[in-house]
Amino acid sequence: MIKLTQIKKSYGRHQVLKGIDLTVEKGEVVAILGPSGSGKTTLLRCMNYLERPSEGEITIDGFTVNCKRPSKSDIHSLRKQSAMVFQQYNLFRHKTALENVMEGLVVVQKVPKEQARKRSIELLEKVGLGSKLDAYPSQLSGGQQQRVGIARALALNPKVILFDEPTSSLDPELVGEVLSVIRKIAREGITMIIVTHEMSFAQEVAGHVIFIDDGMIVERGTPNELFNSPKEERTKQFLKRYTPDGVYSI
Amino acid sequence: MNIDLPFIWESLVELLTAIPTTLAITAVSMLCGLAIGTVVALIRMYKVPVLHSVAASYVTFIRGTPMLTHLLLIYFGLPLIVDALSAQFGWPFRSVNIPMITFAYISFSITAGAYLSEVVRSGLQAVDKGQIEAAYSIGMTTRQAISRIVFPQAFAILLPSLSNSTISMLHGSTLVFTVSVVDINAKSQIIASSNWKFFEAYIAAAAIYWGLTILIERLTAIVEKRINIYNRGGVT
Repeated sequence: MIKLTQIKKSYGRHQVLKGIDLTVEKGEVVAILGPSGSGKTTLLRCMNYLERPSEGEITIDGFTVNCKRPSKSDIHSLRKQSAMVFQQYNLFRHKTALENVMEGLVVVQKVPKEQARKRSIELLEKVGLGSKLDAYPSQLSGGQQQRVGIARALALNPKVILFDEPTSSLDPELVGEVLSVIRKIAREGITMIIVTHEMSFAQEVAGHVIFIDDGMIVERGTPNELFNSPKEERTKQFLKRYTPDGVYSI
Repeated sequence: MNIDLPFIWESLVELLTAIPTTLAITAVSMLCGLAIGTVVALIRMYKVPVLHSVAASYVTFIRGTPMLTHLLLIYFGLPLIVDALSAQFGWPFRSVNIPMITFAYISFSITAGAYLSEVVRSGLQAVDKGQIEAAYSIGMTTRQAISRIVFPQAFAILLPSLSNSTISMLHGSTLVFTVSVVDINAKSQIIASSNWKFFEAYIAAAAIYWGLTILIERLTAIVEKRINIYNRGGVT
């Protein structure tokens, strides 16, 4: 479904991604973990070309972009394969919740307005915001905004949804509502790649977990393998800080 | 002191006929200026090859020279060019057929374009980068993202500056008397000198300009209120 080959990215002399290979199967939920500055968000943003990789190849659902010399239409087509949920929600500020969800359907996919409206309302109801259709983002809480963001991504029926730390800028109280929505759509078999700091969530929802550090994949495996018996020293070190509740090392 | 109060009123009434000229010059210059300014701002933001440096020179030259100079340059330069072209291609058109007000339209649009390009640029840059990223992420093209997402928000941001520029243009349009266009100011000069009542005529002109300025401010406030609904927050 998704295949990344030797993705490299440099800012000037600083190499952020040092050759990432990654394959994600259809319907799989993959969590990417790693310390701040490890390149995990950059990697995710490379997948829809919000960052331009310096080298490598990205394939989503049979559509391949060679990052050496991509054309504008390549990038545009690649972006249409995926949808993204942002850390800062990035809802269109001048549009209501409903308009936010409809926008991509109407403008990009050219779905007739009435139909788009119907589908958008369904999706907003699904994320529990059926009563906030006409609210502007500034009138919504962070958790509500993020749920609109998820509905907006779902609306496009993308091949994959990319989550960029979807709960990192939320009050602890509001994290739960967003995670439960993500959990719900994970069960529906939508392919998802999630960059997150929520360890227990990753453990619960992901089929595969990838640990990145310093621009490289250090370790990958099932949540059970990675969380309970990590092989690499660096992974152990990183996970140490996230010992599950009730386990104290004195 | 000897002021002829009724004459102020008489002048005022007479000056009303010149309002359309002043408003036309202001409106045309601002609209064309906004179009030019937007194009220039986009060229500069996206660093379009070649055009980028042309745009930069245009902005620094125009902002570096007085509006009156632009008007005079256009007034004396444009006919030369038009007549040369007509001679070259055998067109029947001559520069004497150009209505005077056209010089004002052209020159002030060029002036406004340079200033407004900076206004538009600041507005575009003030829109959060996440907005265009979100637009890209749902598959929009750059053109769609700019016209549907960035511009509407930028416009709300730059509205106060735009209102300011409109007021400046309204007042700056008084320069047209140098090319014999009769706007409010020129008309007041005519009234003043033909009646030998300068102070009265100019008071009347001032009153009209003030009134028009208040009108622009009010209109801005109305538009601002409508356009900024989404920024209000907290009312669901």
